[in-house]
Amino acid sequence: MIKFLTPFEKISKSNKTIILVSWIVLIIAIWFIGTSGTKHLFPSPAQVFSGFTALYNEGLVEHIFNSLKLCFLSIFLAVVISMLLAYTWPIPVLKPISEFITKFRFLPFTGLSFYVALLVHDARNMQVWILVIFLTTFLTTSLIAVIKDIPEEEFDHAKTLKCSRWEVLWQVIILGRIDYVIDVIRQNLAIAWMMLVTVESIVVASGGLGFLIKNSDKFMNHGRIIALQIIILIIGLGLDSGINFLRKAIFRYSKI
Amino acid sequence: MKHQYKETLLYIENLSVAYDDHVIIKDITLTEKDVVREGVDHTGQVIAFVGRSGRGKSTFFKAITGLVPVKTGKILIKDFEATEPNIAKVVKEGNIGFVDQKYTLFRHKTVQQTLKFALRKTSLTETEKEAKIKEYIEKWGLDTCVDKYPNELSGGQRQRIAIIEQLFSSDQFIVLDEPFSGLDVGNIQEVKKSFELLSSTSDFNTVIFSTHDIELAIELAQTIYVIGYPTINGKKEAYGTIVAKFDLRELGIAWELYGEKHIKLSKDIIHQMMIS
Ligand SMILES: Nc1ncnc2c1ncn2[C@@H]1O[C@H](COP(=O)(O)OP(=O)(O)O)[C@@H](O)[C@H]1O
Ligand SMILES: [Mg+2]
Repeated sequence: MIKFLTPFEKISKSNKTIILVSWIVLIIAIWFIGTSGTKHLFPSPAQVFSGFTALYNEGLVEHIFNSLKLCFLSIFLAVVISMLLAYTWPIPVLKPISEFITKFRFLPFTGLSFYVALLVHDARNMQVWILVIFLTTFLTTSLIAVIKDIPEEEFDHAKTLKCSRWEVLWQVIILGRIDYVIDVIRQNLAIAWMMLVTVESIVVASGGLGFLIKNSDKFMNHGRIIALQIIILIIGLGLDSGINFLRKAIFRYSKI
Repeated sequence: MKHQYKETLLYIENLSVAYDDHVIIKDITLTEKDVVREGVDHTGQVIAFVGRSGRGKSTFFKAITGLVPVKTGKILIKDFEATEPNIAKVVKEGNIGFVDQKYTLFRHKTVQQTLKFALRKTSLTETEKEAKIKEYIEKWGLDTCVDKYPNELSGGQRQRIAIIEQLFSSDQFIVLDEPFSGLDVGNIQEVKKSFELLSSTSDFNTVIFSTHDIELAIELAQTIYVIGYPTINGKKEAYGTIVAKFDLRELGIAWELYGEKHIKLSKDIIHQMMIS
């Protein structure tokens, strides 16, 4: 038992499983017992379950589908723009542009949506472009960090093979780090997913999970809110491991 | 065994390199000639650089491979494209192959793709390229590696690929920065074998390497340079230069088994390293 409390102590796999299972059992037990009275802050399992069925009846599957569509579309567009910005970053005259864009990630969300609203009138496109602009700032920052992390030896290696500077850019940065682009998406997915739900609840267009959250607010239905949170969390985690799996499956040399 | 010097392969005069005005190496001048031996088909040149850490061996190597700009001086190599002998050219990025301490390769290319890429600027046809790659893969014992990526290779295998790749792409000069550090006994034998392979393949093949293992330097090289801080007018300077040169051919102990004379030389070299 002392062993479990000692920092840096190595424990066996089965012991790790025991610890994990105990925690899960404990949380579930607290949830059941803590919500068994008549007055409780947190909804009971039964309430959450009825929240699930209510959501399902409101067309949950379709809303999830809508959110995912928005998610993939905006990530795709943002990645394309970010790659352009990041890959031109090594060119001295274009470097300030990319660096300037990365600073935009400190700008607040609402101010931007105001300007996008002036330019784009269709709600769905508004959602897309707000997300694209935000994601671009984050993805560009991460991609430039990837480039900065490339050891000097890799550039020297390419040069010794008679690569021109453009070939160095192509071989070392673009081809040589293409698997990192996927990892950069994965790292920023949490931000993307969080922003997506928020954007969906601010700019109401064709449904989506954010739209469902907004509705729950109105009803003050706790079970429903928690059920929705659980769904959003699970989809986010699922996307994360899905992307990681994809990276390893496509690129055999990818060990990040 | 009798040997003769032929044309100059590498000529360095008054070389100095500085990083932001901070002079790292200075006053480096040397000449290396092609050597032929009676009764031996091909004798490549093996040149070792020894010296204590931070004296500028890696910087020197990066200068002669064109990876860092030189402050003063010139570096000339034989122009292998010229039909007449004794034509020299100024060294450019890519002329002299360089294998760094980490045996860096393209992480996204398999061995086959890597070697194909190294041959892209040669005038060989596709089938000739395939044949050449196949020949080297077999000769260097890399048959199992053809479709592997660098992260799936052992350190020794990566190093051999890095050597072949540079050999394919550059003009018969290969610089290796500390090729023996971090290798086990078996790997060291493999690298030694690759040096012998390089030497026995062409007269012009010239291997330049640095090492902290003096015995290995003596065993493999015909010329050994000691890079260190020079003492001028009783004052030790803080830049690297050639403080001593040992030509094992002149000493009559090149291409020989390690013996008494080699042990004595090793003591001399260590002494030179200690005072610089
Ligand atoms: N990129 C660099 N910028 C500034 N100083 C450097 C750089 N690379 C090496 N140096 C300095 O040059 C000196 C020689 O280093 P190096 O050539 O690596 O020596 P060695 O290979 O003999 O150990 C050291 O003092 C090192 O700090
Ligand atoms: Mg060094």
